[in-house]
Amino acid sequence: MKKRLGIISLFIILCIGFIAIWNFSYQTGQEEAYIPVEKDNTVSSIIPSEKGVFQRSEYALDYANMPVDENHQRTLNSYYKNRAYHGAPPHIPHPVKNDRTVGENTCLQCHENGGFTEKYNAYAPVTPHPEMVNCRQCHVEKKTDGVFKAFAYRDVVAPKAGVNNALVGSPPIMPHQIQMHENCLSCHAGPSAPKEIRVTHPERVNCRQCHVLNNKETADIGVFKRR
Amino acid sequence: MYTSLTNRRHFIKKMAAAAAMTAAATMFPGIIFASEQEAGIPNGNLDWKKGPCRFCGVGCGILVGVENGKAVAVKGDPNSSVNKGLLCVKGYHQTMCIQAKDRLTHALVKKNGTYVKIPISEALDIVASKMKETIETHGKDSVAMYTSGQSTIPEGYVASKFMKGAIGTNNLDCNARLCMASAVAGFLTTFGADEPMGCYEDFDYADYYVTWGNNMAEMHPVLFSRMLEQKNKRGAKIIDFATRTTRSSTASDKSILFEPQTDLAVGNAICYEIVNNGWVNKSFIEKHCNFSKGLTKMGYGVEDKYKFTDKPTKIDFNQYKAFLEDYTPEKVAKYSKVSVKDIKYLASIFGDPNKKVMSLWCMGVNQHTRGTWMNNIIYNIHLLTGKISQPGNGPFSLTGQPSACGTAREVGTFTHKLPKGVVMNEKHRALAAKIWKVPVERIPSKPTYHATEMFRAVDRGNIKFIWTQAVNPLVSLPKTSRFRPGMEKKSCFVVVSDVFPTPTSDVADVILPASWHIEKSGLYGNSERRTQHWNKMVEGPGETTPDAWMFIEVAKRMGYGDLFPYSKENHVEEIYNEYRQFHEGKKHGMAPLEVLKEQSGAIWPYVDGKSTQWRFNAAHDPACSNGEDFHFYGKPDGKAVIWQRPYEPAAESPDTAYPFWLNTGRVIEHWHTGSMTRRIPVLHKAMPNAYAELHPKDAKALGIRNGENIRVSSRRGSCVLPASINERGLPTQGQVFVPFFDENMLINDVTLDAFCPISKEPDYKKCAVKIEKA
Amino acid sequence: MPITSYLAHPQEGKKSELLKALTSFKDCEVIPAENEDILVVVTETRDTEEENNLKDKIETLNSLKLLVLVSGFNTPQND
Repeated sequence: MKKRLGIISLFIILCIGFIAIWNFSYQTGQEEAYIPVEKDNTVSSIIPSEKGVFQRSEYALDYANMPVDENHQRTLNSYYKNRAYHGAPPHIPHPVKNDRTVGENTCLQCHENGGFTEKYNAYAPVTPHPEMVNCRQCHVEKKTDGVFKAFAYRDVVAPKAGVNNALVGSPPIMPHQIQMHENCLSCHAGPSAPKEIRVTHPERVNCRQCHVLNNKETADIGVFKRR
Repeated sequence: MYTSLTNRRHFIKKMAAAAAMTAAATMFPGIIFASEQEAGIPNGNLDWKKGPCRFCGVGCGILVGVENGKAVAVKGDPNSSVNKGLLCVKGYHQTMCIQAKDRLTHALVKKNGTYVKIPISEALDIVASKMKETIETHGKDSVAMYTSGQSTIPEGYVASKFMKGAIGTNNLDCNARLCMASAVAGFLTTFGADEPMGCYEDFDYADYYVTWGNNMAEMHPVLFSRMLEQKNKRGAKIIDFATRTTRSSTASDKSILFEPQTDLAVGNAICYEIVNNGWVNKSFIEKHCNFSKGLTKMGYGVEDKYKFTDKPTKIDFNQYKAFLEDYTPEKVAKYSKVSVKDIKYLASIFGDPNKKVMSLWCMGVNQHTRGTWMNNIIYNIHLLTGKISQPGNGPFSLTGQPSACGTAREVGTFTHKLPKGVVMNEKHRALAAKIWKVPVERIPSKPTYHATEMFRAVDRGNIKFIWTQAVNPLVSLPKTSRFRPGMEKKSCFVVVSDVFPTPTSDVADVILPASWHIEKSGLYGNSERRTQHWNKMVEGPGETTPDAWMFIEVAKRMGYGDLFPYSKENHVEEIYNEYRQFHEGKKHGMAPLEVLKEQSGAIWPYVDGKSTQWRFNAAHDPACSNGEDFHFYGKPDGKAVIWQRPYEPAAESPDTAYPFWLNTGRVIEHWHTGSMTRRIPVLHKAMPNAYAELHPKDAKALGIRNGENIRVSSRRGSCVLPASINERGLPTQGQVFVPFFDENMLINDVTLDAFCPISKEPDYKKCAVKIEKA
Repeated sequence: MPITSYLAHPQEGKKSELLKALTSFKDCEVIPAENEDILVVVTETRDTEEENNLKDKIETLNSLKLLVLVSGFNTPQND
């Protein structure tokens, strides 16, 4: 008798349990589906435009330990020659692999981190702005050396290396503007860096601790004068 | 290692040597191979002389290249363990300023509204007679002196002896009140002994660096480089906790932004998490800590003659725990704008017993109307977890001036201080009187004016004579819009000793030409308790004279000659040796001069020929005497205090009329008011003027474009500056940031002279302003 | 031509003595640490045999406590 009562009460409990759970799941099933709205967190997503200086710092120690390949290094002259004038985007000195893309991965394959290319017997220069993937917007091929009509374009005087320090042995100032190339290590370190401007201490990373801008390119500010 | 190598074997040899050096560095962190580091630096025929850098409290060792009696080059001292041969852009170019065309080379006295050149001996006669006359007619407390954290140790010492020992007034304060007072008050309330317990070697061991409102990449760049080096080599992590996105934020592993003033709440929330997650180091706090609470709702000192004295009450751990209930991460997240996740993340860093954590802070925490509290709260976090006084584990309060520690704090050029202890303490007065050889009654027992109140007193007419040295208060004080007209009043005779003309020297009655630091011998003390000596390197121009010698000359003219029996050639040594007597003993012994001349500084307590790198830790500090692992001997019972400090709002918060926070600070190129760095062409060209940083969204709402002139105004004054949108730094929405170096764009006309009631240090980081197109 | 670098630990108080002894060897370059008792030694010899000889010679110095090999390179002779 006791056993039977036990079994019956067990079934009653199960039954009640089933009804309760079924009701609850039915109720929640009636609610409308929604995606929780997150708070607007865009404030932190803006970062100052000067962040570039640290961008390639994770490779700094590798740069410091890399031997110099003297047979394949660029010179400052050949660096400038690849541009219409100092500060202009360089043209593409080799045939492009796929003319139907805006650039992105096709170009970044070699130009994101650099490396030796057998085909051109040279190290691929590293882009200081890999986040801008529409490469072909600014960088074009050079298919002919001829010109359409003769022209006289006054060349900008490009800064020279080795003459930019104020005192004997003091860190040279940056003789160029840094818009679009805030990332120092991309041009000043590694095997593709022109030999005259290759940094002796890439491991230091915080370049702008010692090297400051001198915006002489727009107008010389002169020295401080009290008003 | 990476220069153009002519031969491959030479390169391999260098690689082999480098490998061995790296191996040695893992065994002995901080090891120095000088010859190797010096190899790449051009030498020429220069004579290299050692000294400390003038710009900032890091205290880098410099070598100044001298050729034909002129300083022509600067390099980092490879033998200095502070910077190991590295400097920042200010350091490398510092000597260029002394050749500036408008250098003050002769004494000037104001006659009928114009400045007339006179011999310095005559100028000192005028100063002495004016000072004497003022004391005779208006009493001792009508004369005041305002000195600097750039004054050398002997200069600060002589100033203190002159004012407190000879004249007998406590009217002596210094600009370190504007930068380090909260740090001092924090150390004294928590530990009973000023200055950090650790040292820079902590950087080589820590796993995490948490920076509290501290843009180290620009303000302490050489130390930041040490952090970056450890990050790249060892994977140490930098956590930037700030109100503004800066270079430091972009270089750090995580940047956490908070609403101004809520650092108090976030700090307490971290403590809440530590206490409620069982991360408390129980045996440490049982043995080494007490709990206390102080008064709250203290006010902000904006009214003249404001007075406050804290009343500590002992509490127990449970009371402290109950207090923390108001600071759950969920509650704090609501007003601090720091997410619950980030608060818990910060707490977990401190809570992990296997991770070594360094906290670093400077003006963000100190220039705070609750600066002392904020210092206390950071110590609470480290004390609760027992992460203190061990290599790589510890709170580290950074300084801004080269001798804020050495001179202002150790010599004590504050109104309440003596070279050892405070004027309120009878024993301390007796010791000072004994060493100074003056009657003990002459040293007054009551502190008088702290910096802000001193200049208020000038404005009110209570102070009739003020002498400032190596400071530029009319650019650096908060609310200069009040103090400039105050100092221009005829009621006060103003003497300014400086190297260059400044807005402060513009209101002077007498201008004295001071020597720049390498034109005299001296000693500085940096943030890690390191005392550094240098010898005079070059001759100063014209009649420039060291500040200490000008004090001595004036003291002699006033009849105190017997108290200052120093010789002109050797006064630095004589004064230092006299000063050392104050600190004798294991707790604060200073290194003898012979040692300081030999090496690139020594850390006090200097005991038995050894620097003490970690104070309060029995394994490193011979002053520990309680038989335990740690001994906080600054307090009578040997225990540090964990303070119950609540969150309270800022003195002035944005409202509808003035809807923005104003935050002020520095940039890497310029140091303080720029009177020196702006005269260095490299630095001026890199940063020619101040600017006002705005968040792009705020700028857009106001229709302001980058570079456009805007007017920043508060209830006190206004200032026109070009807007800077998303350039060097990025303040949070609703905040404006302006660097204060530019004397042509005086942002301190706008700031508020509210201060921390305990430390009396003003808050330059928070007041309410409005913005409009100019 | 092997190039090898070592760390040399001197006996207590004999750092300068060891430095003097090591610099007297022709094929040895020594860089002493400024603030610790340790020296970096780089040897450049013609062949392995000569290198072993030199190493033996160094190891017999009285002022030396311990010599630890750090790295070794071998380069062609005509480079």
